[in-house]
Amino acid sequence: MTDTPHKSDVAFIQALAELLRENDLTELRVKREYGADDSLDVRVSRGGPAPVAAPAPAAPPPPQAPATAPAAAAEVPEDPARHPGAVTSPMVGTAYLAAEPGAAPFVKTGDTVEEGQTLVIVEAMKTMNHIPAPHAGTVKRILVEDGAPVEFGAPLMIVE
Amino acid sequence: MSTEAVWPEGYDRLILDEVDSTNAEAARLAPDLGRPTWILARRQTAPRGRRGKSWTMPEGNFAATLVMRPTGTPGWAALRSFLAANALFEALALSVDRTRLGLKWPNDVLLDGGKVAGILLESASQNGQVSWLAIGIGINLQSAPRIRDAAFPPVALDGAAGGPEEMLDLLAGYYATEEAILERLGFEPIREKWLRHAARLGEVITARTGRDAVTGRFETVDQDGRLVLATPEGERRIAAADVYFGEGA
Repeated sequence: MTDTPHKSDVAFIQALAELLRENDLTELRVKREYGADDSLDVRVSRGGPAPVAAPAPAAPPPPQAPATAPAAAAEVPEDPARHPGAVTSPMVGTAYLAAEPGAAPFVKTGDTVEEGQTLVIVEAMKTMNHIPAPHAGTVKRILVEDGAPVEFGAPLMIVE
Repeated sequence: MSTEAVWPEGYDRLILDEVDSTNAEAARLAPDLGRPTWILARRQTAPRGRRGKSWTMPEGNFAATLVMRPTGTPGWAALRSFLAANALFEALALSVDRTRLGLKWPNDVLLDGGKVAGILLESASQNGQVSWLAIGIGINLQSAPRIRDAAFPPVALDGAAGGPEEMLDLLAGYYATEEAILERLGFEPIREKWLRHAARLGEVITARTGRDAVTGRFETVDQDGRLVLATPEGERRIAAADVYFGEGA
């Protein structure tokens, strides 16, 4: 890589790597379009060869660019959490995808859900906090595993 | 017991002969709930423990749920685990010597090291704000179920603490006090009171999460209610786990 990656790109990739580890995922890929000829395509994986990161900003935004899109993007640490359909964890705890061990999961990828339907439970202090679907839609992605620890704001699911 | 408990102001009470589970009833009432309401059931046909753990309830034992619509984040609402444990400790300490009672993080009340009660909280949240909270409390007032190989064998009060309705009066009163403290002074005095009654503080305990176990010295509970353990790898703060004493389990 000849370009020196933009500082925020590095932070962004680090955040993704952390997300990968915390949620026990094997691979994560995020593609972002900053403008017509400015994009970032990152794939982070583990368990195989060294993590691959391929930022390809055709025209990297200048550091501390004032206002508008690039600056806003620079403040974004985790892409799935910023997805318009992201359902995030309101607290630190343990995520459960089913009411109890061995039970059917609340939802599966591809399921149609109604507003208010429980998607996942996050437990902290022996409080089982139900996270309902914020709106009707389809479960596009499930970003956590049953029993995984989650941080505040961690994306749990994408419902569109 | 002949303690004349005064029912706390601002709380409603609902006494049912039979229900599937008081927490299930709480979830049904929650959307249209006016004031915080205690739901007591003489019989539960489908009592629920945490994460599918069995919780049996012979008649004469206590099963009640306080359902409320608090404001704030679900993390803040979950701190009521400690309020419930403190209230239950005080209610039981009227009947048995308090040196026989101990608290296990976050909300287990132990009698002579055995499980005399269980607390299961459920809540729902939307847009980062809690919409309702149910605090389910079961107490082995009369008898304890037999469970083989339990880390904390079930024990009962054998009637020493009176019947369910007397217990409800006491518990509701103590809980209302805890709630008023939380509202006016925040979590700190609740936390301090809880720590005074904590079992094995300063000793080695094990916190089992869904996927691993952390063993370390039980240092404290932090301002967010998390369990703080000192381990050889450094300090660990834990938000969700089952606690066992010693290094085993």
